[in-house]
Amino acid sequence: MSESIKYTEAFEELQQIVQEIEEGEISVDELSLKVKRAAELIRICKTKLTSTEEDVNEILKELEGE
Amino acid sequence: MSAEKQVFTLKQVAASIQKTVAERYNRLYWVQAEMHKLNYTNKGHCYPELVQKEDGKIVAEMRGTIWKAQFDKISKSFVEVVKEPLRDGLSLLFQVRISFHPLYGMGLEVVDIDPTYALGELHKEREETLKRLTREGFLNANQQLDFPLLPQRIALISVDSSKGLSDFYSVVLKNSWNYKFFFMLFPAQLNGDLAINSIQQQLRRIEKVKHHFDAVAIIRGGGGEIGMSCYNNYELSKAIATFPLPVLTGIGHSTNITVTEMVAFRNAITPTELADFLLQAFHEFAVPVQEAGRRLRSESRKILQRAEVAWSNEWRVFRNSTIQQLAKTRQGLHAFTKNLLTQTRFRFQQQSGILQRSNESLQKGVRLQKNRELQVLEQMQLRLRKNSLQQLTFQGVQVDDVKHYVHQQVPKFMQQKAQDLAQLEKHIHLMDPMQVLKRGYSMSLLGGKTISSENPVKAGDIIETLTFEQRITSEVIETSPQEKNE
Repeated sequence: MSESIKYTEAFEELQQIVQEIEEGEISVDELSLKVKRAAELIRICKTKLTSTEEDVNEILKELEGE
Repeated sequence: MSAEKQVFTLKQVAASIQKTVAERYNRLYWVQAEMHKLNYTNKGHCYPELVQKEDGKIVAEMRGTIWKAQFDKISKSFVEVVKEPLRDGLSLLFQVRISFHPLYGMGLEVVDIDPTYALGELHKEREETLKRLTREGFLNANQQLDFPLLPQRIALISVDSSKGLSDFYSVVLKNSWNYKFFFMLFPAQLNGDLAINSIQQQLRRIEKVKHHFDAVAIIRGGGGEIGMSCYNNYELSKAIATFPLPVLTGIGHSTNITVTEMVAFRNAITPTELADFLLQAFHEFAVPVQEAGRRLRSESRKILQRAEVAWSNEWRVFRNSTIQQLAKTRQGLHAFTKNLLTQTRFRFQQQSGILQRSNESLQKGVRLQKNRELQVLEQMQLRLRKNSLQQLTFQGVQVDDVKHYVHQQVPKFMQQKAQDLAQLEKHIHLMDPMQVLKRGYSMSLLGGKTISSENPVKAGDIIETLTFEQRITSEVIETSPQEKNE
């Protein structure tokens, strides 16, 4: 669940950064930091799209454990 | 008594009853009943139990018989109209012949079942389910859940061999965007009565591990249109409506939408459409992310360009105003210098005029003073001369008296003195140290002075000894007091 929160927040933060930059709310001084952060967020989101950490065996073990 | 006793064989009784029943119930009747235990014999005949319930309790029960030939005909037309197979629990309208069989007793021989009535009954069940869920507030419960941004981990309720499932897989697993899903199959019966419990059972399993999943998908397909009424079942519909994860349905049919599909978070007509829905959700995530990168690049470039323009404007303004300021300062400086020069020259001329005038008046003063002093001097000279002449005249008389005295006395005095002088010379000559030395005496000096009690000699002193002919320098070795013999 924490992973899902992470990518959801990453996605929202990314959208917010794009909006801030498009609305011209970011100064040149902040720009570099924001772009760096955005790159990291994009990486998190793209990784999420193309990978998952779930394991069928683990889920089965939990089911059997009931 | 015993002779009069009329005895029938059981067969006779049975035959009589059979005859009576046949005469009494000599036509076909339509009978409402619930059908249970629709068991097939190996010959294909069926002997379902027909029951009537009141308040959940069976108040009447009779054995039914459907001969194979009849059953095939009835079943076919039923499925065609109702889209459901004949099954237990249905409330049906039977056309029956009431009969008594010597072996099997009273029974109802079913010759027909009204499919329209069954349809109505099924429809009634659907309506009932809907009404009840609405009343209980569950109808939109599942739809009100938050749908995950990425429906990535899906619990599938389906049948492994289902065509619908393989259609679904072929779309999602071979997506060209490399989107990654996690699927776990929870196999269940998806048609007919058994589906109701089977699906609920799997939902309960999924609920135990729900934190591993984003959504549930019920996928059916290739099973035809038959056996869908289970999806109108109240229990199943409620289980789906109240499930804590969003439930997606893709159960592929063309009949009326079932309650299950209505309460599901999202209903897709087919498994393929369901797959597309999931991919679309991924696109809605991926495209803004992709777009964000592009927009960030272009916006950053714009911001930088704007900053560059602003900077160069500021630079230009700064440069221009600096140049202006410099020119102004230079001008001011130039004017100041010029002014200073003029002022200096003026002052200089002024001062040099004053100086010249002072000089002139000084010279004049000096000249005046000089003249004045010259006059004084001349007067003094005149007076001096006058006084001197007077003095001289007075003194002249006295000089003449003295002159006369001198002329008389001086030659006598001179002669006397010359005799004294000659006598003295003679003495002095005898006193000359050289004359003494000549006679063999010597004289010692220490530091250029004669040796005396004021200038004594001690050992180590250098003394000079003068003889008539030599000057001897010697070091004193020893001194001792002189013995005086007078």
